[in-house]
Order: sequence, then C-alpha cells, then structure tokens
Amino acid sequence: MLDLSRVQKELVECNKDSDISGVTLTLHAGAADLTHLAGTITGPLGTPYEGGTFHIDIQLPSGYPFEPPKMQFITKVWHPNISSQNGAICLDILKDQWSPALTLKTALLSLQALLSAPEPGDPQDAVVAQQYLRDQPTFVVTARYWTETFAKRASVGIEEKVQKLVEMGFPEGMVRSTLELVNGDENMALEKLCSS
Amino acid sequence: MADDEEFQSSSNREEEEEEEEGSCFYFSDQYDEDDDDDVNEETVLEGLEDGAEEDCHWSVSSVITKESLLAAQKEDLRKVMELLVISEQHARTLLIHYRWDVERIFELLEQKGKERLFSEAGVTIIEGKGIDLSGSTSMYTCNICFEDVCSDVVTEMDCGHCYCNDCWTEHFIVKINDGQSRRIRCMAPKCDAVCDEAIVRNLVSARHPDIADRFDRFLLVSYIEDNNKVKWCPSVPHCGNAIRVEGDIYCEVECTCGRQFCFSCLLEAHSPCSCTMWELWKKKCHDESETVNWITVNTKPCPKCHKPVEKNGGCNLVSCICGQSFCWLCGGATGRDHTWTSISGHSCGRFKEDQAKRTERARRDLYRYMHYHNRYKAHTDSLKQESNLKETIQRKISISENKESRIKDYTWVMNGLTRLFRSRRVLSYSYPFAFYMFGDELFKDEMTPQERELKQNLFEEQQQQLESNVEKLSMFLEKDFQYFSDEEVMDTMRHVFNLSNVVDRLCKQMYQCIENDLLYPLQRATHNIAPYKSKGLERASELSLCWDSDQSLKGMKTSNEDSSAQCDSAADGVSNAGVNVPAAGKRTGLQFHGSSSSEDSGCFSQKRARRDGPGDAPLFDLNVPAEVVDKL
Ligand SMILES: [Zn+2]
Ligand SMILES: [Zn+2]
Ligand SMILES: [Zn+2]
Ligand SMILES: [Zn+2]
Ligand SMILES: [Zn+2]
Ligand SMILES: [Zn+2]
Ligand SMILES: [Zn+2]
Repeated sequence: MLDLSRVQKELVECNKDSDISGVTLTLHAGAADLTHLAGTITGPLGTPYEGGTFHIDIQLPSGYPFEPPKMQFITKVWHPNISSQNGAICLDILKDQWSPALTLKTALLSLQALLSAPEPGDPQDAVVAQQYLRDQPTFVVTARYWTETFAKRASVGIEEKVQKLVEMGFPEGMVRSTLELVNGDENMALEKLCSS
Repeated sequence: MADDEEFQSSSNREEEEEEEEGSCFYFSDQYDEDDDDDVNEETVLEGLEDGAEEDCHWSVSSVITKESLLAAQKEDLRKVMELLVISEQHARTLLIHYRWDVERIFELLEQKGKERLFSEAGVTIIEGKGIDLSGSTSMYTCNICFEDVCSDVVTEMDCGHCYCNDCWTEHFIVKINDGQSRRIRCMAPKCDAVCDEAIVRNLVSARHPDIADRFDRFLLVSYIEDNNKVKWCPSVPHCGNAIRVEGDIYCEVECTCGRQFCFSCLLEAHSPCSCTMWELWKKKCHDESETVNWITVNTKPCPKCHKPVEKNGGCNLVSCICGQSFCWLCGGATGRDHTWTSISGHSCGRFKEDQAKRTERARRDLYRYMHYHNRYKAHTDSLKQESNLKETIQRKISISENKESRIKDYTWVMNGLTRLFRSRRVLSYSYPFAFYMFGDELFKDEMTPQERELKQNLFEEQQQQLESNVEKLSMFLEKDFQYFSDEEVMDTMRHVFNLSNVVDRLCKQMYQCIENDLLYPLQRATHNIAPYKSKGLERASELSLCWDSDQSLKGMKTSNEDSSAQCDSAADGVSNAGVNVPAAGKRTGLQFHGSSSSEDSGCFSQKRARRDGPGDAPLFDLNVPAEVVDKL
C-alpha cells in the first residue's frame, strides 16, 4: 500500500537544499524498509532552540500519504506543544488537518515553525504550557538549558553512540534508555547493557 | 357564602346517593367506604379545571421504513435544491452539515447569506474552473504522487483542486474505510471543500464496487444518523424502521412494530421521569439489588406486622415499631422479659459502635431508596398483571352481555381498564422522579431544605391522591359485575367513569406540576419530560411525502434496487401535495411544521419554554387548604 516511489522522491527532494532549509530526512538507522525514517531540524534563530539539532523519529503508516506520518521528537525539548516526557507532538497537520498534498519536508518545516511559535492554548505538555504563559523568562531559560544539554554536540554524539551500540547487536530502545540513564557515557552504557 | 352553597348542594347529592345505595344489599361492609368515595370523586371532579388546551409541546411522529428512507431523504433534498437552486450533491452536503434541519438552513440563509452558509458546510461553487483539461493529450504532474500523468486521468474538484485519479481513489477509500463518507474533504491542504459524491462513486466503484456500495449506504443512513429528528427504532431484533418526529423531540413514540420508547434517550417510555433520572434509576436498581439482598439477609420480618426489622444492636432481642419484640435468632415473638441474657448458647457484644455510625448514613440512604423502589415496584408489578386482568374482565363482559338485561354496552369496562393501566404507569414512574427530585443526588444545591420540604409535601399529596384514586378505580374494575343487577352495574359504571376522569386529570396535573413548578425553576440543570398523553402513546404514522415524481430519483444510485423501485411508486402516489417552493430566499408560503420550535431543535440540553395557559398557575391548590395556598 505504501507509495514507495513517492517516499523515495521525497527523500531525494528533501535533502537537495538541507543546508538552506535546516531540515534533513534519512532512512532510520537499521531500518529494513522505507516505513521508518529519521528527520532532523535545526533550532530556529532567535529562539531558545537556536544552535540545537533536533532528531525526529518518523513512522509511515501503510496508507501514507493518504494517512498522516507519525512523528515524535527523539531529542528532549522544552516546548508547550511537545511532551517533555516522550517527545509526542501536538500539531494539527499531523492529525486531522493532514493533507496528502503535504510532504515529510513540509511537516518537518512545520515542526520548525512550531518551535518558533508555540501554541500554548492547545498544549501537549501542560506543565510547560503553564510556565510559558505565566513565567516567560524562566521558560526561556529552561528551554535554552534543554537545548544546550540535549540538542547540541552531545546529542549529535548520542546518535553516533546509539548507532554503534545498535550495530553491536543491542535493541535500539534499550540502547537509548540506557544511554539516557548514564548521561550519554558510552562505556558505562556498554557495561550496563552487557550486565543486564 | 358561595362555599356554603356548594357544600350544601354536594351534601344533598350525597344524601340522594345514600338512599340509592341504601337499597343495595351487597358489600355492606364497604358501604361506608363507597360513600366516602363519592364525596371524593365529586369534589375532585369539581376541583379540577378541565384543561381544554392540549399540549403546547406538540409533536408528530412518523415511521421511516427501509422503503421510504430514500424518499424521505429526497424530499428534504428537493426542498433545499429548489430553494437554493443547487445540485443534489451540494444540497446533501449542506443537509449533512446542518444535520438535515431544513428549517435551520433557511434560517441561516437569512442570517449568514448564501456564501457563508455554503463555505461553512464545505460547498464550493466556482464558476469558471481553473485548469482547462479539454486538450486531453497534455501531461499533468500530480502533486500527491509526483508522477506525470496524462491529463485524461486527472480529476478536478469543484474547488478547483486537481489530482490524478489514482490518488483521489486512494484518498476516498481511506476516508470511507475510516467512516468519514459523509464528509470527504478535498486533498489540498486547508481546503474545506467536500468532494463531489458522483466523482467519489465513479472512481471508487471502478476499483472497489463493494466500497462504493458502502459509501452509498452511508449517505443514505446519514438521513437517520446525522439527524436530530430521526432515530432508529430501538427494537431488538431490529424492525428496520426509524422514527421521525416533527415538533418537540421530548416525546414518547410508538413504532409500527409496537415498540414504545422515549424518543430522546431511546429507552422505554419513562415520563414523568426525565431521561437523566431514568438512566440513573435503572443503574441504581441494578446496583442496589445487591444491597437489597443485604437487607433481606440483615433484616427479619416482624412476626406481627411483617415489616422488615433490622437488628439494632448486638442483642438478639429486637423490637419492631409496632411494639412487638421478637428473637432475632428464631424469629419468634417474645415478651418484654425475654431478654438476650436469657437466650443461652450465643454471645452478644460483637457489634462495634463506630461501625454503627459509619453504616448509619449508608443505611438511611438505602432505606430512602427502598421506600421509593418498593412503591415503584408495586405499581410495575401490578402492570405486569395487565394481560391477565384483561382476560378476566373480557370473560366477565361476555357473561354480562349474554345475560337477560337491558344493558348491552360494556365498553366502559375496557375503557376504565385502559385508564387504570395508563395511570398506574404514570404513578410507578412518579416514584423514581420523586426520588431524584427531592434527593441529594441531582439537585442538592437547587433548593433550600425548607423549599424542598414544601415542594415535596405538595407533590406527595398529589401523588397520594392519584394513588388512592387509582386503587379505587382498580377496586371497582375488579368487582364481579357480571352478577350485578342492572342498577348495580349502572352504579359501578358511574364510579368507573368518574374515577377514570379523576385519575386522568390528576395525571395531567401531576405532569404540569412537575414541568412548571418543579423542573422549570431549576437553575443549574435542565430536565425535560415528555408531555402527558391522555389517550396513550400515538403510533407513528406512515410517512406521507409531498413531492413531484418527475425529477424524483435522478442521480441517486442505491445499493438496493428494490427500495428505489418502491420509492418510485410511493412518490407517484402522493405527487400532488407537492411543496410550493417560492422564489429563493423567501420563506413565506413554505409549510413546515413546528417552525416555531426550530430554535431549540437539535439541542438536547436546552430548556423548554414554560407551558402557557391554565397550566401556568401553580397547580398545588387541589388538595391544599386555602390558607396554605395563599402562602405559596
Ligand atoms: Zn497522483
Ligand atoms: Zn480543494
Ligand atoms: Zn420498530
Ligand atoms: Zn428518555
Ligand atoms: Zn411489627
Ligand atoms: Zn447484646
Ligand atoms: Zn427466641
């Protein structure tokens, strides 16, 4: 059912101007087919997300593009419309406002736009939304801190560490949770993974 | 003075009756009681004003069968098509969006204007279409699949958006499978236009005829399922019918299959309970049956008066409110000196004080519930005897009709019996009503305790009066009139007739009291009840459609050929009564029923206007002494 030729075209199209758009789209590490992709967006300038690179997990349902893609932030991010717990996204075009004429690239660009313009009236994370509405300065500080901690070099490194450990044969989910547990220390993660 | 006179005249009449009845020799022990009845019947009849006005909340129900569904839908489609000069599919889109409320569409047309009315419903009418596809040799790039395709395999929707047929088809199938047939939007981002149903049908049936059939069925049943004024009959197994109500949707209806139900909640007819009350009550009866079992385990009947008596302490000597003491262990009556200490072989004192307090409240609640439930159940149980009683009385009637007598007409017996059943029904549902009306569950903050007590007393007095008259009616109907002399038969007939009138009016009065004096003043909640039907529930009539047959069934392909054939003939039969649709935009001359009620149509939580007319005055006065009425 999945329109493979369209997805292939999208992959090519999206990466043509990645340096301008700040959006990339690749096959997910270890994915067997085109249904599991990985995207990145750069944090928009002039926002607390500036300088960060945010990784997004993309699952394509069999009805794609007639059904919306499932997207989720892998990189932890402090934002009213993104869950600080699991990266779930509240965005209309990923739900009932999806149109088959939209693409993964336009969806990623919409996420980038969402980082610039939060919509606290329709929150995914109530705690963050409250802070955004009541105490903007603290919100900005927290969001910037999260960007520094999770979306900069370290997290780029994390993806490499993840890939390395996955290629050693550990399941990806376990690798990620273990790395998070030990604050990204590759050796400690390996130790833990081997002992479990 | 006038009162004196009235009193005088009624006591005169009593004396006459006494003489009349004095010559009778039967039921001598009931004689006095009968005499009281007379006073009661007469005074009640005088006291009750004959509310000549019938229901302000009128409603007419009609049945929609498999065969007439298409025709019913067509009728509404045609009204909209002709008035707005639009195609059938645009009319359908509008009607689905506005829940098949033709009147509302006409109202909104005036309020909002055509353009907004259309765009909000997703109807897009663009005069000149954007892309010229006539030269079929050109190539076109589809923006969904990114393929270059020949322009004869692309389709442009009314909104001007154009994609290849494969993509459209895929999109339609996903939406139909997702249950969104009634509103398949265009694929373009942010375009709210609803896709042309003919295009959907053509493209989908080319690849999946079964899904196309499903699409058609969805559109057809939309008339029932997206329509506040039409509902499926809740019969099981399903009779296949739906009921359409015009006017007030808070009503009780009877399907042609015989099923009676509350149109608003689809449960059994339950007035004068509101839907919410009835739902709660049913649930409560289900949940509490466990607790009621607890009571039967934890109470024992008094050996004297047979009321359930709960053990009120650790002692096994319990005493009933009637004064009787008895032993909890053996249930036998005891004297005062038979105390627990003298019962050997069991110990006392296991009962814990704090536990007693904790269960105190729960027990009070339970007793309150049981009080109402017992009465509710007593009347419901009596109703279950309906068919038995009918048979017995039928037998008595045939005996009477065959005996030597100048009286040949006994229809009054069956009429009285029908009245008895109807009023028992009202009575039985009036108990759950009272349970919630005067309890804490629903209206705790609606009334002050004083207000509540006053209202409860007044209501219960009405209820008791109805109850005693219903029982009297029941008693007269159960007499063995087949052995009576003509005179005695006449006398019984007079009682039954008068009592029937009395209970009918008491029922009506109770409904009005509930609606106007109890439910209407509620501030925080809205409860509506179906109006009282003195003649019982009306059976839904066959749908009578008014439309011209000529342009009837164009364009609509149904999955069911039979039904469309039937509709054709139905349409021919009633062709002349067609609606005279005036020039677009004008409403005058259109004969729509219940146009005044269109404001609250479809909104279930809205409060109804209070009934006008004689019913508007407080109705408590019937039984209440003048001085109390003055204080109200
Ligand atoms: Zn296409
Ligand atoms: Zn469109
Ligand atoms: Zn039925
Ligand atoms: Zn109901
Ligand atoms: Zn007793
Ligand atoms: Zn004791
Ligand atoms: Zn005993």
